[in-house]
Amino acid sequence: MAMLEIRGLTKHFGGLAAINGIDLDIEEGEIRGVIGPNGAGKTTLFNVISGVYRPTSGVIRFNNEKISGLSPSVIATRGAVRTFQRDAVIHDFDVLRNVTVAGHLHSDQSIIKTLFGDIKGSREKDEEKAMKILEFVGLDHLCHELAANLAHGFQRVLGIAIALATEPRLLMLDEPVAGMNTTETAHMTEVINRLHEEKGMTIMLVEHDMKTVMSICKKVTVIDFGEKLAEGSPSEIMNDPKVIEAYLGAEEIVT
Amino acid sequence: MEVSTLIQTIANSLVQSSVYATLAIGLALGFGVMKMANFAHGEFYMLGAYVVFFLYTTWGLPYPLAVLAALPIIALVGMLTERLIFRPTKGNVLAGFMATAGLTFILQVLVGQAWGVGLMRAIETPYKGAWEVAGAFIGWQRLIIIPVAILMITALWYFLYHVKIGKALRACAQDPEVAALQGISINKITLTAMAIAGGYAGIAGALMAPIQPVTPYMGHDIIIICFIIVIVGGMESIAGAVLASFILGFIHTFMTTLYDSIVAIMAGVALMALILIVKPEGLLGKVKA
Amino acid sequence: MWKKISGLAIIGIIFCSLPYMVELYRMEVLIVLLFNLILAQSYRLVNTTGDWSLSHIVVMGVGAYSSALITKLLGWPFWLSLPVSGLVTAFIGFLIVFPLLRTIGFGFFIGSFALGEFVRLIWVKFRDPFGGPRGLINIPSAEIGPIDLYQPIPFYYFCLIIAAISIWIMYRIDRSHIGDTFKAIHTDPVLCETIGIRVPRYRAMAFVIGAFFAGIAGALMAHHQGAIDPHNFEATLMVYLIIYVVVGGIETFWGAALGVIVMTVIFEITRPLEEWRPLIAGCILILFLVVMPGGLDVLLPKTMKLFRKIPGIGQLFT
Repeated sequence: MAMLEIRGLTKHFGGLAAINGIDLDIEEGEIRGVIGPNGAGKTTLFNVISGVYRPTSGVIRFNNEKISGLSPSVIATRGAVRTFQRDAVIHDFDVLRNVTVAGHLHSDQSIIKTLFGDIKGSREKDEEKAMKILEFVGLDHLCHELAANLAHGFQRVLGIAIALATEPRLLMLDEPVAGMNTTETAHMTEVINRLHEEKGMTIMLVEHDMKTVMSICKKVTVIDFGEKLAEGSPSEIMNDPKVIEAYLGAEEIVT
Repeated sequence: MEVSTLIQTIANSLVQSSVYATLAIGLALGFGVMKMANFAHGEFYMLGAYVVFFLYTTWGLPYPLAVLAALPIIALVGMLTERLIFRPTKGNVLAGFMATAGLTFILQVLVGQAWGVGLMRAIETPYKGAWEVAGAFIGWQRLIIIPVAILMITALWYFLYHVKIGKALRACAQDPEVAALQGISINKITLTAMAIAGGYAGIAGALMAPIQPVTPYMGHDIIIICFIIVIVGGMESIAGAVLASFILGFIHTFMTTLYDSIVAIMAGVALMALILIVKPEGLLGKVKA
Repeated sequence: MWKKISGLAIIGIIFCSLPYMVELYRMEVLIVLLFNLILAQSYRLVNTTGDWSLSHIVVMGVGAYSSALITKLLGWPFWLSLPVSGLVTAFIGFLIVFPLLRTIGFGFFIGSFALGEFVRLIWVKFRDPFGGPRGLINIPSAEIGPIDLYQPIPFYYFCLIIAAISIWIMYRIDRSHIGDTFKAIHTDPVLCETIGIRVPRYRAMAFVIGAFFAGIAGALMAHHQGAIDPHNFEATLMVYLIIYVVVGGIETFWGAALGVIVMTVIFEITRPLEEWRPLIAGCILILFLVVMPGGLDVLLPKTMKLFRKIPGIGQLFT
């Protein structure tokens, strides 16, 4: 049984179908890339899965429970957490506090504890947990830096750290290396690879940068005009004539 | 309700709606162009009434001239407000709104110190007599408000659709960035919008001066209703403001006649709360992506 | 740690000795200052989620009316009616904020005003039990068991204790995980939603907690004045509350309290110019919004830094 199961997912805007009858299965422990030309519906697919948009029709099941139609916060609580293309961090918090806030689902603080309990003690516990995550993604040396002052690449990594603090079971990354330079891309790729290899995290990533997708993912889904075009290993995809015609033909496969 | 009372109430509703409309379109214009939420709009109305008091009652100028004079004078106040408050707080709706709330205090105190606090200024009605329809009497003074309001709304419509700066104003309301790219000066546009808003509020006040008691605080009650109107109509929509003015004008007048003025305001407030919950963008407002 | 304790001790000593430093007629000002401290801090708590409410003064009125009616009609003692009115206010606060959770920013601001005004008009409209436009009179004065709090000095100390407890609780909330969540929602509600924070729930929570403390302030006010009417909770007074918070700033926890104290001092200095007071308030509000947004709590550290650079004087501030 797949962890994430998508059947016949369709989303219309006005009369236009941004995605049209997509089926997609993601197994536990898998690392899956979703690619497609600009405007193919990748971001819409992402927004529908994470609950930003309600699907026009179709079903999304996560761990055998229907999640389509739920609000983003509930979907996140169930364990499917996304990141953003933009620098989605709390700009006026420092790096550590960004991660502790995101750890709220697993923090033992309630309103009663806030009033009568030991805030300092539980804050220290939360910070310890957060530091572990920061060490894992390699941001521990910046933990007291204001998030707004970080370089773009580090902000994106912090975005992943924030998502990790919610202890997700499925991590959905929206173009994780968009707008990054070579060093930043290498850092991000390493973080994603280690997440997959060391923690066994199930990851789905939407990406424009072919090189990254082909080097990280074992299996790739191609969508075009809101429909699934092909699915398979990177080498199969690169040799699929349909894919080459629709998407890769015009440009070089590896850019 | 008797027929004569009904006709009387409908006539009063039309007059009231016209006054609301001249005020609300100014408010919607300011908000539409650059998110300028002017809390002092009611005080502009009050100042308009004082212009009539000053020029007509004290100086003895003819009434129509005094009303016309309110247009440039209050337009100037509007422009000053844009320059001193809205321009520095550009991009922050709440800051502009709160700062103009401070401006209401200043204007109320200044007018109160100049002409007396709490003293009701009675202004002699220049157009005495009434029009009798089926047992109902509608004073000429009230009746002239309706054509003046229609004239003002038409003029604004012509300005927005057929005059260059008016078209620029509409472009700016739709997308300030695009307007800026086309070489339209945003500052000039916001200044124009506030001048119109001020001038129209001034005329509304001038028209109501002989009907209402003129006090430094007369803008306070009407601003609440005006904000209800622009929210119900859709903050940025001028057509919505006109439509909502009539809805609120009728609700308010009928509720006041049937029950009392408190119930009337409660009904308005309840309508606004309902709109905010069910259709936050207002009746004719556009949904923001 | 010691710096914090000594700072609190100094503030405590100042507040405890204030009644003996001013003339008796100024006690009124001090008591109102305490109400305003609770009120402004509770308003600031609501603001930390980014929601500026225009109904907070009416919410305070709910507390005032509740406590007045509870003691008058039900005959409950003051010590019981005080927390109960806080709870009643929190409940009414929930009813006010619930429909507004779909709105943000300016819509929330105006919507909260409309619902607040609706509540206030209910008091005007219904003579029974709210007393209509004239309001309620003969509200029993505060007393706890045998201690009569009618006299200004005992009442001042009672309010001081309540204010200290209230502000301490709000401080704890501000420092806690919940306080962090409020601030995170202010900065990026969309991100908060995707990491599983139920944003509407937290916004409602901030509003309801703020309403509770505003209700406490209102209840104290009702028993102090002995009479309340709908005019005590008008929009004009809401503008004054905004002035406190804008002048003090909401960046740091103590900004709102600072604003209340500074404005109270300014109003006291300008007491001879009573009828010009709104003008002064209006000018200050515009000045702070236009020239120095962020308020004193952003401005003060900068000034302090400047002071520290001056040799001699600098040592006094470190």
